[in-house]
Amino acid sequence: MGKRMMTGVIVLAFICSSFLLMTSCAKKQIQVSEPVQPATQEMKAEEDKAKAAEEAKSTAEQEAKARAEAERQARLRELKMAQKLADEIRNFEAENIYFAFDRSDLTDESKSVLREKGNWLRANGDYSVNISGNCDERGTAEYNLALGERRAHAAKKFLMGLGISENRLATISYGEEKPVDPGHNDEAWAKNRNDQFTLTK
Amino acid sequence: MRSTLKFSFFAKGAAFPLCWLGILIFVSLLFPMYCFGRIYIDINAPAIRKFNIAITDFKNLSRNNEHQELVKDMPGVISNDLDCSGYFTPMDKEAFLEDSDPASTLEDIRFKDWSVIGAELLLKGNYTCIGRNVEVEIRLFDVFWGRQILGKRVLGDISSYRHLMHRLSNDVIQTLTGQAGIFLTKLVFVGNASGHKEVYVCDYDGHNVRQKTSDKSIALLPRWSPQGKKIMYNSYKDGGTLLYMQDVSSGVVKQISGRSGLNIGACWSPDGKRVALTLSRKGNPDIFIIDLNGKIIKQVTDHWGIDVSPAFSPDGNKIAFVSNRSGSPQIYLVDLISGTEERLTFEGSYNTSPAWSSLNRIAFVSQDAGHFDIYTMDPNGGRLRRLTEDGGNNEDPCWSPDGRYIMFSSDRKGRYHLYLMNANGLNQRRITFLKGDQTAPSWAP
Repeated sequence: MGKRMMTGVIVLAFICSSFLLMTSCAKKQIQVSEPVQPATQEMKAEEDKAKAAEEAKSTAEQEAKARAEAERQARLRELKMAQKLADEIRNFEAENIYFAFDRSDLTDESKSVLREKGNWLRANGDYSVNISGNCDERGTAEYNLALGERRAHAAKKFLMGLGISENRLATISYGEEKPVDPGHNDEAWAKNRNDQFTLTK
Repeated sequence: MRSTLKFSFFAKGAAFPLCWLGILIFVSLLFPMYCFGRIYIDINAPAIRKFNIAITDFKNLSRNNEHQELVKDMPGVISNDLDCSGYFTPMDKEAFLEDSDPASTLEDIRFKDWSVIGAELLLKGNYTCIGRNVEVEIRLFDVFWGRQILGKRVLGDISSYRHLMHRLSNDVIQTLTGQAGIFLTKLVFVGNASGHKEVYVCDYDGHNVRQKTSDKSIALLPRWSPQGKKIMYNSYKDGGTLLYMQDVSSGVVKQISGRSGLNIGACWSPDGKRVALTLSRKGNPDIFIIDLNGKIIKQVTDHWGIDVSPAFSPDGNKIAFVSNRSGSPQIYLVDLISGTEERLTFEGSYNTSPAWSSLNRIAFVSQDAGHFDIYTMDPNGGRLRRLTEDGGNNEDPCWSPDGRYIMFSSDRKGRYHLYLMNANGLNQRRITFLKGDQTAPSWAP
């Protein structure tokens, strides 16, 4: 019995000691991860670095902003130019010249319109123009196709006379097939006897 | 009976003594209508008196009375055909004494009931539907003499009953005039119902419309070949006014002339082997003749003015065309053999659209008091005759293959539609009832 108790005490002691051992080991492990004081110093240095970087960054950003602004301005100017060109193209294309019934000769007004167009074409050498001749609905499709071609040719010849090279001037006749105004009266017919101009690059 | 006998004697011709021939001619002068058997209507006479024809509803002999609607629809087609011909006045059915005279044989018909209401001719018919087919029989009677002039039976598909009726109408015309009828002919024209100008074809009476192009561009000036197998037309589908040819049965399209400038207004030569058209490849529109591969055979005109709208003479040796060389568009004639040119029109300041008939008349369009109207003249400019008046604009005249009718476009009802008239301008009637405008008709055989 006494012997049995002894072994029991020894075993208990062993278990207790082993527990103690284990906890002490655990404590040691915690202690290893504890040193904090030297790290805060390092962080301060890093913060300084970051501040400097930030400052550098902000100046760079400012520079970039300035550059972007400059670019924006440039783009704006470009856009304005493009807008101006687009307006010019629109005006160029919107301005038809008109003819009398069964006629293909240019009026003085048509000639002044064509002179403006000629100036523009000289200033914008990379554009070509497509001239389409049109007629009012009266008369036959065939005769009007020929008359429309005459009207387109009349404008082409005039522009060539202003020094625009022939290979920038294409012509097509739509005869009575593409009326601007679908009406059947003098007013509509006057509008429909025209040359129309489209630009291509 | 008597006159048919005479006809058969006459047919023996060669062995016939001359004096008998003289007597026959004398008799024929006395009774022009009934001599030589059959010529009731002399369509070459300057004035044609119209025959009153009574056309009854057809009798449906089908076992279960299938397709009862054909009772009225079939005679309706024949009635319209004969009305269009300008030789007949189809009578109002309301006037008929017997609503549905069942009798169809010579012995049973009470001709007095028909002559009393003024009918000179009587057409009766019946039909039997067998499955998808229909057999139709018509009989044409001379009411005054009480005799049958024509008996005819045809068989065909029910769905194409209009075609069958046109055949029978042709038989009626052939019997009464000795000339072929036009009722199986077809038209090609430009329609814009889809929002684009496309080429369409239809029967001569405006029925059976089919669209032949779907280019969603501008199709212009379709011209049917004299043999009826091809259609030439202009289209902007490839960017300019180029000339194309479509095979009617296969629908295959081939570009014929794609020269720079205009390639417009193709007119077939009568033999169908060449085409006259306007080319402006050198800047000025002149008339050329090309073959069906587009190769230039001959330059016909060479003038600084506008030369357009060529129209071949029936013998193919001359071309009528429009030129503004005198300051305004007028019609000129060029002899293809000698090369001589002459001006044909001197009245008015706008004469265009010459169309030369197989009977050697030229139809054209002239502007007068702001409107365009159709006229005809001889190829020397003589015997000028105005055909349309007081009805909007009348343009694009084209002749039937037999030269007895003119199809044209008119905006007398607001938009442009196709109209038919006799060569003398009588019997003008609207043919197309489609959406939009129908213009530029060309007639196929």
